[in-house]
Amino acid sequence: MTDTPASPTDPFAHDALNAGEGLHPVDPAYGHVLRIATALNMVPIAIGASVVDYLVTPQIEGPYGLLTVAAWLFAIIAIITFPSRRVARWGYGIGEGQLRVARGWLFRTDTIVPFVRVQHIDVGQGPIERLFGLSHLVVHTSGTHNSTVTLPGLPSDLAAAMRETIRRHIQTDFA
Amino acid sequence: MTDAAPSVLEPDWQRLHPATLALAIVKLGPRSFQFLPAVAALGFTGNWVYIVPAILAFLLISLLAAWFQWLRFRFFVGEGEIVIESGVLSRQHRTIPFDRIQDVSIEQGLVSRALGIAKVGFETGAGGKENDAILDAIGLDAAQALRTTIRAHRSEPLAVTDAAPTTDGAAADATPVAGDRLLYAMGLRRLLVAGLFNFSLAALAVVGAGMQFFDNLLPFDFNIFNPMAWIRIAEGYGLDSWLLAHRWIAGVGAAISLLFIGFASGIGTMLFANWDFRLTREPRALRRTRGLTTRTDVAVPVKRVQAAILVTGWFRKRFGWHELRLQSLASDGEKERDHQVVPFGRLADIDPVLAEVAIARPDADQRWQHSHHIVAMGPVIGAICAMIGGAIALYLGNAVGWLGLIAAPAIAMIALVTARYHRWADIGDLVAIRRGWWKPKMTLLPHASVQSIDLETSFVLRPLGLATLVFGVPGGSSLASHEIPAIPLATARELRARILAAGARS
Repeated sequence: MTDTPASPTDPFAHDALNAGEGLHPVDPAYGHVLRIATALNMVPIAIGASVVDYLVTPQIEGPYGLLTVAAWLFAIIAIITFPSRRVARWGYGIGEGQLRVARGWLFRTDTIVPFVRVQHIDVGQGPIERLFGLSHLVVHTSGTHNSTVTLPGLPSDLAAAMRETIRRHIQTDFA
Repeated sequence: MTDAAPSVLEPDWQRLHPATLALAIVKLGPRSFQFLPAVAALGFTGNWVYIVPAILAFLLISLLAAWFQWLRFRFFVGEGEIVIESGVLSRQHRTIPFDRIQDVSIEQGLVSRALGIAKVGFETGAGGKENDAILDAIGLDAAQALRTTIRAHRSEPLAVTDAAPTTDGAAADATPVAGDRLLYAMGLRRLLVAGLFNFSLAALAVVGAGMQFFDNLLPFDFNIFNPMAWIRIAEGYGLDSWLLAHRWIAGVGAAISLLFIGFASGIGTMLFANWDFRLTREPRALRRTRGLTTRTDVAVPVKRVQAAILVTGWFRKRFGWHELRLQSLASDGEKERDHQVVPFGRLADIDPVLAEVAIARPDADQRWQHSHHIVAMGPVIGAICAMIGGAIALYLGNAVGWLGLIAAPAIAMIALVTARYHRWADIGDLVAIRRGWWKPKMTLLPHASVQSIDLETSFVLRPLGLATLVFGVPGGSSLASHEIPAIPLATARELRARILAAGARS
């Protein structure tokens, strides 16, 4: 009883969601990837806001500094807090001839793709992911909805192994 | 190609044709337009000295980028699959089994023809063009050899079964077989009836807007939609005194002209679109020919039909008229991805067509399960917003606010009523989904055409213990995916497991 967290009582607990649905969590290092990606997005915006604040606010005699502080505060909060929460919401399951990918909390989507339905498979790695030895697996189906199902935050060797597992099914069980 | 073990990737990697680099130089031409603003900026600021070095740097960087891309792109044709590795900074490794390649396209532009190279596209049926793999470009003979290899591989397993749909959708090689049967045709009488039900005031809006616009340009000052215009005519005949007493005559005149235009446009569009409509069953496909001015000839391969959609209207349903559309994977070059195979017919006309594609319609006493009423929440929230907005407008003294106040309850009512028509049933090997009251629509989705299933919950559905199932089905529009909204979570899980257990269809 103790090793299974009580998912219904505290749905916001980080590990409760995936464990409650029988899913594996993605690699925690993916949090760093997301954090760097968020930083690369947010820092330029914050800098831009600071510049706008510096140039425009004195002209219109507004409260100088408010925009700068707000922008940087938002950027810091976004970089520190959100990525780890987002990572905790990703979950995957592989086995029984199907791949399961779940993501999100406010709008949670839990996708199942049977291996036999997979058209082709990509394993991709961006420069930030490479720093942490991670890869993402992209599964293409012929459905118009969900034509690509992406599972990020996998250690590269695991991603390759999953690709091989799925590939074998495509070959043995062709439509 | 003579590898002993197909699963082990022997390093028999190939690169793209070196002439691709020449092609990259040609492509630089249009791309250098992006560079024009920079040149202009340099010019405006008076830094003329830097223009030539900047252009040279741009050319050098572009060529280097093209060369790096060429260097980092390699592919490998295995026994039963093609493997492509690409990307300079972010690497991509893509495996495409031959079994999954629907068609191989070979495309040659003007320059590539001069260079003897060709762009090879693998249509895998994966949704979206960007998901299809492309070899841009390899030698023409290599491309043709590759296509032959893949086609040969595809025809092998299919040769065992008697039907071999290797050249699906190729209407050109249609050899007339005695087995062609006429499934459905529309005569003039049926077309006229269909046109009457096709009553549409959409054309009226266009005509009305045009009249507003051209009002001053018209040689005569007469607007048939304006009751005052009718009164003015009457004045000319000394009828004005009589008309003033019977003002409703003018209203009736306007209404009759409205009706006339509505029916005329309905019949007109129906005649033009569906003139001499014929749906025939050919050995491998359903073939549809129709049209008065532009005749279209579309073949829908039976094996590629993914779902059937029965559409009707609240009014025509009372007279037993329905429309049948088939969702198909085949890309016929036509814009619409749903193929209208019976534009207007009785259920008795539709059933034989459904039988051809092995989809059974649920009978009248089918028990349906309902979606939760929460599906009406979005429109109801919209209605509340409209009401608040209207109230604010009224408060500010704008009479338009009444519009919001009147429309809001109507929107909410319609949403609540329509929500009751969200139903579904799991019948044998297909799922039937019904929705809509104004325009009832029934989707018949065989389990076997479902490629993936999303189980979606949200902060609204979760406390209610509900989930929405969204099905990934080949073909159709990406905007209108098939879904069963707001059903109990346990039911959704069970249905998902049942559907995914089905085998592949095609």
